[in-house]
Amino acid sequence: MRTTRFRLVHMLAGAVIAVLLGIHMVVIHLDSILRFFGANTANTTSWQAMIERAGQGTWVGIYIALLAFVLYHGFYGLRGVILEVTTSAKTTRIVTWTLIIVGIVTFIWGSYVPIALLSS
Amino acid sequence: MANSSLKQITFKVQRYNPEDSNPPYLEEFTIPSSRGMTVLDGLIYIKENLDSTLSFRTSCRMGICGSCGMLINNYPHLACHTQIEEFHSNTLTVKPLPNQPIIKDLVVDLMPMFNVHKSMKPYIIRHDTKETENPTAEFAQTPEEVNAFLQFTYCIKCGICVSACPTSASDKLFLGPQALAQCYRYCADSRDDGQQERLSVVDADHGAWHCHLAGACSEACPKGLDPALAIQLLKRQMASQALGLRRKKRPSPVVPPLTETKPKVPFPEFTVKDNR
Amino acid sequence: MKQTKPRQNYLGASGWVWAGNYKLERYLYLLHRITGLGMLLFFLFHMIETTFFRIQGQSMWEATMTLLENPWFEVGICLVAVAFVYHALNGLRLLLQEFGFALGKPTPPIYPYKDSLRRQRPWTIAMVSVVVIIALVFLIDIIV
Repeated sequence: MRTTRFRLVHMLAGAVIAVLLGIHMVVIHLDSILRFFGANTANTTSWQAMIERAGQGTWVGIYIALLAFVLYHGFYGLRGVILEVTTSAKTTRIVTWTLIIVGIVTFIWGSYVPIALLSS
Repeated sequence: MANSSLKQITFKVQRYNPEDSNPPYLEEFTIPSSRGMTVLDGLIYIKENLDSTLSFRTSCRMGICGSCGMLINNYPHLACHTQIEEFHSNTLTVKPLPNQPIIKDLVVDLMPMFNVHKSMKPYIIRHDTKETENPTAEFAQTPEEVNAFLQFTYCIKCGICVSACPTSASDKLFLGPQALAQCYRYCADSRDDGQQERLSVVDADHGAWHCHLAGACSEACPKGLDPALAIQLLKRQMASQALGLRRKKRPSPVVPPLTETKPKVPFPEFTVKDNR
Repeated sequence: MKQTKPRQNYLGASGWVWAGNYKLERYLYLLHRITGLGMLLFFLFHMIETTFFRIQGQSMWEATMTLLENPWFEVGICLVAVAFVYHALNGLRLLLQEFGFALGKPTPPIYPYKDSLRRQRPWTIAMVSVVVIIALVFLIDIIV
């Protein structure tokens, strides 16, 4: 049942990303959406706004959670697409382990930056 | 009665001779076609009158044996089930089913599909060996239990769903919609107790989870089987098993022997009086 | 007569893109795949921008933001937003249908056959319409 369990986590991650990434997109691009409706808001991608968000623990938590789920969902999906054009077991093992290692390294680096900015 | 008009229809048939080194090529034949003629009738006309070396499979000519699956105008059909007139065109392109190896012309090798089907253990598996080896009576099954899998029993193993599937096109190790639908047909059968063996085959890297619900298999199936529905219900069984939510259902018991018989109906009175 | 091996006849990855006039769900599957891979590619660049460039201080950040104000990048981010909306809504549809919840029960096949995906097609079309409307909202905002 191993493959089924990985796949269930993949689907759960998808659902969680839909919520977290929705929040992220609305905050970053809300001004474009509001501009369409006639309102005008402050620039969310300015240095000041970004540093303000980086100092709040909630935002850092959301970003790290989003990063974890995006890396799992994206890389598991990519692995599925690559496996559909591969037959050899050796290539499967190489692809799986490469993606696991790249995913872990990206997660460590990607969560180090917001934590460093939080404390600074 | 007026004669139905004969139109000249061009068939572009893919030819391939395994004994020479040429790749497959399209050959044109022009045949007279009338209303009600199927693509199979056209191919038989070609074989009888124009080129007897054309190879294709055919048997029942009524859509039940599953021999004549072909790619007609870039869509898989049963040739006996497809009218020439339904394309509203004077040119038809007939090619062998994709995703299966070609033996010659329009004949494909279906053995890989049959071997994968066999690996699904497509038979009732029970663990009460005494009853299965020396059966005493039938297994009890309600109409509701039959309806849960009846639709998926109509498979004629024509291979059209495997040709339609986009995953089967690229993934040589994918089990295919036919095998997965038959796996569900047996897992959903209340008489069967072999879910563990079958689910361990489909829960692999190239198993049921490489189905992405493109739905082309159900769309192309000539018998209305809906293999896509069977595969998604199979995924539901796999997910509930992985999460530990599956209630272990005992397989259908044997029908118990009758304990009471109905009272005998008395012999009716004679309606014609005997005059003796 | 010499014994020959049957000739391989796989469509390959081109079988994902075009193999006949199939209906809506097959092309929704293809679009789901394209949006997923496209977003993964965008994510790679986004990670570089928000980690390497962000940690180098204010001047680097503001230089990056000025670079990204280019209209081509605006169109790009709009496409990524539309891709996300499509992938999320289609993913929600797949989440329901892949466990058989939104597909209905098996029914005996009576001609003309209506498979379960065809029966659910009105809902699928409704979902696609929502995506198209949101895409139009984003695009009009870019153009205007």
